[in-house]
Parts: sequence; C-alpha cells; structure tokens
Amino acid sequence: MSSHTNNPPEADSDSINFYDPAVAAHPQPVFRRLRDRCPVRKPIPGVAVCLSRYEDVLFALRHPEIFSAVMPAGLIGNVRPLIPLNVDPPEQTKYRKFLDPLFSNKKMLAMEKGVREIASNIVDRFADDDGCEFNTAFAIPYPSTVFLQLMGLPADDLDHFLSLKNAIIRPDAEDPEEQAKIRNESGEKIYAYFNKYLDEIEKSPRDDLLSLFVTAEVGGERMNREEILDICYLFLLGGLDTVTSTLGCMVSYLAQHPDRRQALVDDPALIPSAIEEMLRWETPVIQVVRTVVQDYTIGGVELKKGDPVTLVLGSANTDDEQFPNADEVDFERMPNKHIAFGSGPHRCLGSHLSRLELRVALEEFHRRIPEYTIKPGETPVYSHAIREVTYLPLQFGKGQK
Amino acid sequence: MPGGGGKIEHDRDACVGHGRCYVLAPDVFDEDERGHGVLKLASVPAELQDQARAAAENCPEDAISFQPDDAT
Ligand code: HEM
Ligand code: SF4
Repeated sequence: MSSHTNNPPEADSDSINFYDPAVAAHPQPVFRRLRDRCPVRKPIPGVAVCLSRYEDVLFALRHPEIFSAVMPAGLIGNVRPLIPLNVDPPEQTKYRKFLDPLFSNKKMLAMEKGVREIASNIVDRFADDDGCEFNTAFAIPYPSTVFLQLMGLPADDLDHFLSLKNAIIRPDAEDPEEQAKIRNESGEKIYAYFNKYLDEIEKSPRDDLLSLFVTAEVGGERMNREEILDICYLFLLGGLDTVTSTLGCMVSYLAQHPDRRQALVDDPALIPSAIEEMLRWETPVIQVVRTVVQDYTIGGVELKKGDPVTLVLGSANTDDEQFPNADEVDFERMPNKHIAFGSGPHRCLGSHLSRLELRVALEEFHRRIPEYTIKPGETPVYSHAIREVTYLPLQFGKGQK
Repeated sequence: MPGGGGKIEHDRDACVGHGRCYVLAPDVFDEDERGHGVLKLASVPAELQDQARAAAENCPEDAISFQPDDAT
C-alpha cells in the first residue's frame, strides 16, 4: 500500500468520505477505488477497518463469532441495545424465530391490497399536478403509513411518529454533544410513545402486531416490556427511512433514464427484477458495522479483537468479481446475488415487506404517472449515511398536462 | 441446451430466508412458516431445470446446490 503516499488526498482511499454529498450521489466509482487500492482498509486509530470486496463482506456477515453485531447502547438515543440487530446468535435466533413468521413473504403478500390502497391514495394527492417533490410527496409518508397500519397504531400519529425518528436520524444541530442531547430526548419520547400503547394493549389485546408482541412466547416465555421496546425502537429507525431512501434512489434513477422507465411502464412484469438490480446498484444502506471479537486475518490484514469494522455493502454489490459488468445496470441481470438486505443471521427482517412496498409503489406511481423527468434546471440532492435523495424535484408528462 | 433434469440440495442451516428460491423457482421451492425455502422435490425433472438453476445461482447464502444430469 506504499502507493498511497503518492496520491492526492481525495484519491486516497484512506480518506474516502462517504459523508460527502457528492460521493453519496455517485458512490460507485469511489467504491471501485476502495476495492482496487485496499480491499481491506487497514486499521487507523479511531477509524473503522473497512471491508469492500464482496467475498470479504459476505464472510464477515456470515461469521458473527468473529465479526459481532453487538453494540453498546446510546448511539441513537437508545438506552439498551436494539433487538435483534445488536444481539448475536444463538440469542438472536430466538427473536428471529418469533419475528420471521410475522414478516414472511406470504404474510406480506397477504397485505398487498391494503398497501396498494395506501400507495394509490397518496399518488391521488398529486397525480394531477405538473410535478412533485417526490420525497415529501410520496417517499416519506408511504412507508410510515404502511408501518402504522401494520403495527396497529393510529394513522393520525403519522406526524408525531415522523418527528420522533427524524430527531434521531437528523438531529438539528452541528455540535456532537448537542446532537446526542437531542437524540436522547427523542429516544425517551419514543419509549414513552410505545409504552402508552403497550399499556393499553396489556389491558385489552387487539388483533395486531403489538398485541402479538405482548402475548406471544419467545423462546418459551413472554417477552418483558424492555425487550418489546427494544424491538419497536429498531423498527422505527430501521423500517422507515430505508424504504424512503430506496424509493428515492430508484425513482431518481428512472427519472434520469427514460428508456428504463419506459421499459417498466410497458411491461410491469419486469418490475421485480428491476427492483433487485436497482437495489444492487443503488444499495441505499451503504454500510453496516461490526466489532472484531477474536483476532483474525482477512485480505492479508491482521485484525485485532476490539477493532471496529465497516462492511461496505455498496462496494460489495458493485464488485466485478461477483457481478460481471458490475457497472452496467441490467434490469434482467441473472444471476443477481446482491446483498442490499445483508446476509447471514442479521438478514433484513423487513426484506419481504420492502420488496412488496417497492413493487406496489412503482406499479401505482407508473400507472398514474407513466412519464416523468427531473424538473428542468434542478438537480436531485443526495445525502449520506443511508443514501437518501432528500430533494427530488420531478416534472410529470412531456411538459403538457 | 439438452433438456435433462438434475439433483438439487438445500442446506437448511445456511438458509436465512431471503426467499429468492421460492420466488424464482416456485415449482421447486416452497416457503415455510418463517419464510425459509423448503424443497418440494429432491429430483428435478427436465422442465424445471431452469428454475432449479436460477434458485441455486441467486441464493445469497449459497445454500442451494444443483447438479444437472447432463452436466457436460
Ligand atoms: C429497502 C428497504 C430496506 C433495506 C435496504 C434494509 C436493509 C437492511 C440491512 C442491510 C440489514 C442488515 C444490517 C446488518 O447486518 O447490520 C437490515 C436489518 C434489519 N432490517 Fe432492514 N432494510 C430495509 C427495510 C426494512 C423494513 C421495512 C423493516 C421493517 C421491519 C426492516 C427491519 C430490519 C430489522 C429488524 C433488521 C435487523 C435484523 C437482525 O439483526 O436480525 N428493514 N436491513
Ligand atoms: S434463497 Fe437461499 S437463503 Fe433464501 S430462502 Fe431460498 S435457500 Fe434460503
């Protein structure tokens, strides 16, 4: 890696900054640099080791006994570790055995009619306009509305619900201490919000997901209140913005590639495989984190117990070693073993729900608005962390309406 | 391509329920209660070879292996 010293800082993979909005907009070439120069970025004090090749990322995801997902609480306003994300097998398996059936492909498909109604109602609000800002108009309210319904929470809670999670994900402050304070305050409100409903449900269980959490046996006994809260907290932070950002990335891509958009409008049966390919190419959850729990050498780099590690899913998903012509977006790509939903024991619990939400959204949006482009003179704005398109101005039709 | 069948195996310990198999190969795989794949048949007839291959090639956990009879 001696070549590093000769590189200008911005080309040096050690200084790649995923938090740069320009990188967030077009991360794929940056991923390539990362893979080519140092597939495993070496430990630098205070900076996570970075795995960027498909093979290495996959290995880490599948080996929690070396790369543990256990994290201390407190980083996102939580007072305890999140369940099941910050728990490793075998304990994590107990929770997944309970949760998996509730989020299975079959269960999710059974909700399709209701999800379609939600999508269609939201599209109704702007379908006759000249255009919309896609994020505010659709990508934000849609998954949250679906989620409230799924959990059995009142639809009227939407705004409150959104403000709680936004304070955690985008605290309105520059100073890290101030940010932590905002997060912790909002965290308390989140626990209080769920506690209120859980108190009600304990008195009179209903026919919804939260009631199941209260009454079901997990690993032979009922979950206590803290376990239930730790699951709900993760749902709120993991199940909403992920879908919002994925939808934004996809619609932004389609708005900028009219031939691809037209292909989906002409043949909606192509949508499922197009979704898989856009999940691969856009990989909205760019990276996940782990901690090394036993000394291990990967890609010639020695990792020590305690090293923090970043697994760059976006880079794994654009690795030519795994995906021939990885830079080509092919809606019929086959095979396509992308890991946008992770791999191994922590495979996204919401992957079936997400696939349903994404398919229905594209179907309903295209049914009403088959033609759209980026509004002339404007540019979509991407943000970091998860690749959200925070500003996505669309113009509908070919100009006339 | 010659239309032979083949043998398919599913490693239940490696499977984590991505569900690519029963979506891409609905005649070869079923979905269990947890959303994990379950084989419908051990020996794949010729007309399902493409499905079986698609399942094996798209499983992100490499939990499926498919051996076509006419592997030459
Ligand atoms: C397209 C949208 C989504 C994407 C791209 C996505 C991505 C991911 C990824 C990459 C992981 C693995 C994290 C890791 O290994 O550290 C994950 C885990 C998880 N996701 Fe999603 N997710 C999405 C939507 C959802 C939704 C809608 C839910 C709703 C319930 C959800 C719930 C979860 C949970 C509970 C976990 C933790 C699973 C575990 O640790 O066992 N996700 N997601
Ligand atoms: S695709 Fe693989 S991991 Fe997913 S359900 Fe099928 S066998 Fe299991």
